[in-house]
Amino acid sequence: MSSDTQVLTAGNGSLLERIVPRLALPAAWLAVPILVFLAIFFFYPAINLLFFSLMTQDAKGVVGPPLTGAHYSRFFEVDLYLRVFWNTLRISLITSAIAIVLGYPVAIVMARSRPIVSRTISLIVIAPLIVSVVVRSYGWQLILANTPAGLLNWVLLSLGITSSPLALLYSPTAVVIGSLHVFYPMMVLPLASALGKIDPNLEDCARTLGAPWWKVFARVTLPLSVPGLVAGFTLVFSLTAGSFVTPVILGGTTATMLGNLIEQQIFVVYDWPFGAAIAVVLVVVVFAINTLSMRLLEGRRLRALS
Amino acid sequence: MNPRLSGPGAWVLYFVTAGMMVFILAPLAVVVAMSVSDSYFVAFPPQGFTLKWYVKILQDHEFLDALQLSALLALSTTIGSLLLGVPAAIALTRGAFPGQALLKGLVLSPLIFPALVTGLALMQLLAKMGSGDARLNLLIGHIVVTSPYVIRAVVTSLLLVDFNLEDAARTLGASRLRTFWRITMPQIAPGVAAGALFAFMVSFDNYPVTMWLANSQYSPVPLVLMRQLVNVFDPSIPAMSTVIIILAVIGVLILERLVGLRRAAAM
Repeated sequence: MSSDTQVLTAGNGSLLERIVPRLALPAAWLAVPILVFLAIFFFYPAINLLFFSLMTQDAKGVVGPPLTGAHYSRFFEVDLYLRVFWNTLRISLITSAIAIVLGYPVAIVMARSRPIVSRTISLIVIAPLIVSVVVRSYGWQLILANTPAGLLNWVLLSLGITSSPLALLYSPTAVVIGSLHVFYPMMVLPLASALGKIDPNLEDCARTLGAPWWKVFARVTLPLSVPGLVAGFTLVFSLTAGSFVTPVILGGTTATMLGNLIEQQIFVVYDWPFGAAIAVVLVVVVFAINTLSMRLLEGRRLRALS
Repeated sequence: MNPRLSGPGAWVLYFVTAGMMVFILAPLAVVVAMSVSDSYFVAFPPQGFTLKWYVKILQDHEFLDALQLSALLALSTTIGSLLLGVPAAIALTRGAFPGQALLKGLVLSPLIFPALVTGLALMQLLAKMGSGDARLNLLIGHIVVTSPYVIRAVVTSLLLVDFNLEDAARTLGASRLRTFWRITMPQIAPGVAAGALFAFMVSFDNYPVTMWLANSQYSPVPLVLMRQLVNVFDPSIPAMSTVIIILAVIGVLILERLVGLRRAAAM
C-alpha cells in the first residue's frame, strides 16, 4: 500500500470517529445486527410456534383462538403418538449408550498414543461429519439391505454363517446403527478432549500402587472425564432425538420418530397446531436433557469445592 | 505426548479402535464402490468397472441445478453469517458489559435447538409474511443455523489475540477500523476462515431446515438426493453420493491446512 492511501485511510478513520463522537462505541453494539436477525427469524418464530400449538384449526385450515391444550392431550393419549414418543426416547438413549461404550476406547487411544496415530484417528473420526447425513444413511442402507445383495448379508451368506438373509434394514436397530454412525464423532471428540486434560501421573500413581487397569479406569479416568462424557451424551441424545433423515432411510415405517411425525402432520395431514405441539414436545425433551446434564455437572463442581 | 498405552488392556483398546475405524469408513467405501458398478441395480458385490453413472449424473439437470443452487446458497450463507457473526464475536470478547454471558447464550442458542423445529417455525413465519422466494427463505434459514458456528470459531481465535498489539496501534493513532484490519484480522484469520468453511459445509449439507423451506423449483442437493433415493435404483445414486463425499474430503483437507483438524473440531 502506498503512503498516500495510508494517509487517506487513516484520515478517513479519524474522520469517521470524529463524526461518531467516540460514542464510546462499546463493543456490545456490534452484536445488535445478529440479535435483531435472530429475534425476527429465530426467537419470534419459536415463540410463535408455541402459541400455534395451543390454538385451534377450523375446517378451512385457518388457525386461531380459542386457546386449547387439546393437541397435547391428544398426543399423550393416542397410542400411536405415544409409541412414537417412546420410540424416539429409546432410540436416542440406546444410541448414546452405545456411543459412550464404543467412544471411550477410541477417545483413550486418541488422547494417549503417538501423534501420528492420534492424528490419523481424528481425521477418520472427523471427516465423515462433513459428508451429508443422506449419503451416510444411504451407505448403511446398502450394507444392511435385507436381500442377499446387501453387503452384510452377502458376506454372511458367502461365509456360510447364515443360510438365509437377515432382515436388519427397516428396523429400529438399523436406525440405531445409522444414528450411531452419524453422531459418534460428537461423543468421541468431547471425550478425547476431556481425557487429554487428565494428568497422566494420576493414572501412573494408581498403577504403581497396584491397581489393575479396570480399576484405574473406574476410579481415576472415568470420574475425571465426566465433563466430556456428559457433553457427548447431551449432544448425541439431542441430535438423535431430532433426526429425520436416518429414520426415513433406515427405519421405514417401523421406526418413526418425532421428527417424522412432525413432517407428516405438516406436509401430509396439514394439521398445523398438532404438528407445532409435537415440535414443542421435541424441544422440551431436548431442553430437559440439556438442563439435566448441566445440573449434574454443576452439582459435581459444588461437591468438589466443598 | 508419550506412548503410555501398554499391556493387554492396550491391545483391547487398539482392537476396538480399529473396529470403529472400519465401522466409520464402511458405508462411505461401499457407496464409492457401488458408484462404478456396471449393473442396472445397486447390488453387492459391484460388477466390473464403469464411469457411465458419472456421465449420466453429469447430464442430469435436476442434479446439476441442485449442485449450482447448493453452491450459491452455501456461498451467500457464508458471507451472511460472517457479516453477522464476526462483529458478534468481537462483542463477546472485547471488554466486559452486563449481560455478556446472556448474549453469548442467545447467539449460540440455535446450536442446541432441534434444527428441524427451527426450520418449521421459520417456514410458518415466512408463509405468514408471504415471502414466496424459496431462495431467500433458504438463505435466511441457513444463516440462522450457521452463524453460531462462525461465532464460536471466531471467539476461540479472538481469545488468543494479543490485546497489547491493538492498544499499541490505537496509541500510535490508528483508527478502530484500521486497527481491526491491520492488527486483529491477521491474527484471527485462521479462525474466521475455519468459521467460513464450517458455515459453507453446514449449509451445503443441511437437511432439517432445508426440507421446510425448499420447493420443487429450488431444491438443494440433499433434498434432490433424498427424492431420487426413493425413485431411482441404478448406481447413479452412489455416483451422486460419491461426488458429495469428494467435495467433503476437499473441505476437510482445506480445514486441516488452515487450522488443523483437531483444533477445528474443538471450535
